[in-house]
Amino acid sequence: MSERRVQRLLDSTPADEQAEARAWEIVRTAYAQREPRRRPRRRLRLVLAFAAVAALAAAAFSPPGRAVVNAVRRSIGIEHAQPALFRLPTGGRVLVAGDGGAWVVAADGSKRRLGDYAQASWSPHGLYVVAASTNELAAVTPAGAVHWTLSRPKIRFPRWGGTRTDTRIAYLTTSRLHVVGGDGAGDAAAAGVAAAPVAPVWQPTSADRHVLAYVTARGRVTVLDSDRGSVRWISPAYTGPRVLAWSPDGKQLALATRTKVVLFDARTGHTTAVRIAGVRALAFAPDGRLALLNDREVVLRSGTRSRTLFVPPGGRLDGLAWSPDGRWLLTELPAADEWVFLQTRGGRRILAVSHIAAQFGAFPTLSGWAK
Amino acid sequence: MRPEPRGELDRREHAWVRDAQRGSAPALEQLFRHHWPRAYRAALLVVGDAAAAEDIAQEAFLAAVRALDRFDRRRPFGPWLHRIVVNRAIDWGRARTLRRELGEADAPEPAAPEREPAEYAPRLATALAGLGPEHRAVIVLRYLLEYTPGEIAELLDLPRGTVNSRLRRGLDRLEAVLREEPE
Repeated sequence: MSERRVQRLLDSTPADEQAEARAWEIVRTAYAQREPRRRPRRRLRLVLAFAAVAALAAAAFSPPGRAVVNAVRRSIGIEHAQPALFRLPTGGRVLVAGDGGAWVVAADGSKRRLGDYAQASWSPHGLYVVAASTNELAAVTPAGAVHWTLSRPKIRFPRWGGTRTDTRIAYLTTSRLHVVGGDGAGDAAAAGVAAAPVAPVWQPTSADRHVLAYVTARGRVTVLDSDRGSVRWISPAYTGPRVLAWSPDGKQLALATRTKVVLFDARTGHTTAVRIAGVRALAFAPDGRLALLNDREVVLRSGTRSRTLFVPPGGRLDGLAWSPDGRWLLTELPAADEWVFLQTRGGRRILAVSHIAAQFGAFPTLSGWAK
Repeated sequence: MRPEPRGELDRREHAWVRDAQRGSAPALEQLFRHHWPRAYRAALLVVGDAAAAEDIAQEAFLAAVRALDRFDRRRPFGPWLHRIVVNRAIDWGRARTLRRELGEADAPEPAAPEREPAEYAPRLATALAGLGPEHRAVIVLRYLLEYTPGEIAELLDLPRGTVNSRLRRGLDRLEAVLREEPE
């Protein structure tokens, strides 16, 4: 067969224009954010940064200045953002919490405020919410009815796990890990050592057992059977632990530190390191794909393959939540006062919603997206 | 229309790289628009999966953007980009082969149907599918991106003889599958 014919055949392979447009958007924003080759001197940079912050702060307190701030937000936000959250791009309910309280957003965009809780998370099947203010832990329904409360000092990171019939809630007080029954009974310190400020996570399970992972103050990941009070394994110490997450089948545990992501085999504790630095949020999709967020981008990892899903036009991203059907990923762009929905299956749409702070009383933290 | 002379293209590409290094987004766009179609096609022909090809080509351009300041302008941009694209595509192909060995039944149920595979010249796709990713890469580098066997050997860090034998085997395979199709 002639080489020219092979050449003609290969050349006839169509290029996908939509793929080109999507890729150019990501490349363009990455280029706009790259570090310039010549940087101003450190001292000058500090002065400029201070001046910029001062100018923005001054601007924010005057009505004409508010327009300037809004213009800045527009410049770093996503173009064509919806002015309000009219509906979610797919089914389920999004839970958020912050200075404006805890809220549940339904698929049709309607919002219900659960109370003055700065932190919250879903129960394993989305039937309840565990919410916390500084000194109170509460189990509430998504409609806002309070089932029980528990007063403890300086509560952080409440997380609910277990089966449909037998659940546990883990949380941290100042530096101690506690576990309480889903009915609010039997609250007890679950570990003898101090915990790092990282949210504890329950291993997903269909069996009647309650296994929990947390990070000790010395940076060691510990997997604990909370019913027996026995430790399954303890990892070596990691510097700068930030976030833990279980894979949906409970076979893998991911830890993000300042410099890398470590994937643990749930049974043995054996590790695989992923070289991606600065990860501040990670979340497994229902089908096992892992989304990672650092200062620069959102990365989607499937098996050993990673791809950049989104590079914001400016500002820092915060938080990740997968839709229950695994098709959409929600992240936040606080500097632009926006939520960003990223489609990961069946297309590559990016939908942004602005004026988030006004809709929730303050810019909230994403706490989960349940069925 | 006559194709643009190679020297003129090289000069323009040199200018785009220089201007992009200096912060010109339009120059970067020129560079991107010029190289995207071939980078994407090359990835698609090696991996045979449109979504993966898009990711691979996109990641190659992102890698290029991140390394732009360190790029030596005296060297051509194309081979540098193509090396990244083709090597990533080979890695992807190998990883998929390894995953398949574990058994498709072990893979989790996707939450939604994956995008349909690219409908490019089905017989060409079939013919290429019968080759390993390393063989496909050599064919693509030779007949789509028009590198000489010596240049391919350098790009893929392979002995020249290996490149030649992979080309021969690839052509034989294409011939066997495409023989019945009229030229």
